[in-house]
Amino acid sequence: MSNLPDPSVALSMQGIGVRFPTGVQALDQLELELCRGEFLSLLGPSGCGKSTALRLAAGLAQPTTGTMQRAPDMRLGFVFQEPTLMPWATVFDNVRLPLRLQGRSVASVRDEVMQVLELVGLTEFVNAYPRELSGGMRMRVSIARALATRPNLLLLDEPFAALDEITRGRLDDDLLRIWQEQSLTVVFVTHSVYEAVYLSSRIAVFSGRPGRIVESIDIDPALTRDEAFRASERYARWCVQASGLLSRAYA
Amino acid sequence: MSTTQRQSVVAPVLVCALALGLWEAVVRINHIPHYILPAPSLVAQTLWTDLPSLLPSMWFTIKITAGALLLAVVGGVLVAAVFASSRRIENAFFPLAIVLQVTPIVAIAPLILIYIESTTVALLICAFIVAFFPILANTVVGLRSADANLRDLFTLYGASRWQRLHLLLAPSALPYFLAGLRIAGGLALIGAVVAEFAAGAAGRETGLASRILEASFRTEIPRMFAALVLVSMVGIGIFLVFDWLARRLLGRWHDTEMHQSSH
Repeated sequence: MSNLPDPSVALSMQGIGVRFPTGVQALDQLELELCRGEFLSLLGPSGCGKSTALRLAAGLAQPTTGTMQRAPDMRLGFVFQEPTLMPWATVFDNVRLPLRLQGRSVASVRDEVMQVLELVGLTEFVNAYPRELSGGMRMRVSIARALATRPNLLLLDEPFAALDEITRGRLDDDLLRIWQEQSLTVVFVTHSVYEAVYLSSRIAVFSGRPGRIVESIDIDPALTRDEAFRASERYARWCVQASGLLSRAYA
Repeated sequence: MSTTQRQSVVAPVLVCALALGLWEAVVRINHIPHYILPAPSLVAQTLWTDLPSLLPSMWFTIKITAGALLLAVVGGVLVAAVFASSRRIENAFFPLAIVLQVTPIVAIAPLILIYIESTTVALLICAFIVAFFPILANTVVGLRSADANLRDLFTLYGASRWQRLHLLLAPSALPYFLAGLRIAGGLALIGAVVAEFAAGAAGRETGLASRILEASFRTEIPRMFAALVLVSMVGIGIFLVFDWLARRLLGRWHDTEMHQSSH
């Protein structure tokens, strides 16, 4: 899955179609080019196939038609809609899992695990079990686990959808900080216009099923994302634009 | 011990004491002869005097029960692993397991006793048959219960079959397996006792059921009760051991155990 022509491209999808065994056409003629360093949001109505597109990008699903290419040096991290932690394992062991699956010993990964836990602010909960944590903290553990292997491509599938507004805002800021500090490429699936505009350097708006990207909105990545940005006129304009595209996708 | 813990012990003990007291009173007030209904005090006395002759039988019953349970655990888990890995094999063989489960053991036991020469082995097989199914059924469900996203995560990081089995499937199945084990523990004892009744065995290498049968032939009702008390104690012992095991293994992570330990 290599020979991408342009070295700045992290991932490319051409003419992708996905038809489920049930006969449902989830994606049709999907064209997507993801550049290194981008924060790309896939915005669309529920059931439009954006999660399927993300699973394709991760290699967890195969397209029925078309080709998906990923740059060979891409190391993946994946965050699911739910925290998806192992309830029988401590925070430390949950975060250690990807490294463990690579066959690395506990002693050799301890520092790395503690570093990613520090990144998400959970070092004091290293020995806690998932059920002892709040929903937001569990999601942080999930993000730490995705970061444990030092990925350069982070895929997130509506990760904060189930969280309250304030927790969600905090995690959005955490994610932006990590994106900048770790020079990651991020693909973020969401159905929230406001979250997409706040976070992204580009928004790809999906049509309803079968899913296809109908429009792209570029947002200056250099803009500081803070409360002032949320209150700005530019932010509002982008939100209106994205909402308009989204409601057309619903129609 | 906390107050709530003390309450959880005190209440059942009180109920038991009350029931025994009532029983004793009814027997004494109505002058019920001991060959119809012995008072608890007489049962306790008989238990004490007959203990030397009953203990080896109890030990035999425990051995049969534990042996059958061990076989059921090994067999149940192995077959469950095969079933969980292939729907086809499960579809082909599951009806057979259900036939074994729904046919009453009292009805099968005489046949097994005819075909198997050694009574001990026959008893073991009977107890195994009833203990096997709950472990198999629960473990199959447990192995399938692993979270779909976690499965994807293991795929994403290229986990080997072995890693998937012992890091994901086995821990996911553990609560289900332990629930099956608790049921199987009680059933194995029932199987061991029932099969021995069917065998009608006498002699030294026999269990508590044979002692109950013998005593009933001689209308030694207090001795029947004494042996019955020992059977119950074995059952309670099995329950306590598995209850402790479940707490130990599931401890902090599982909901069903959290409620108990947080009280």
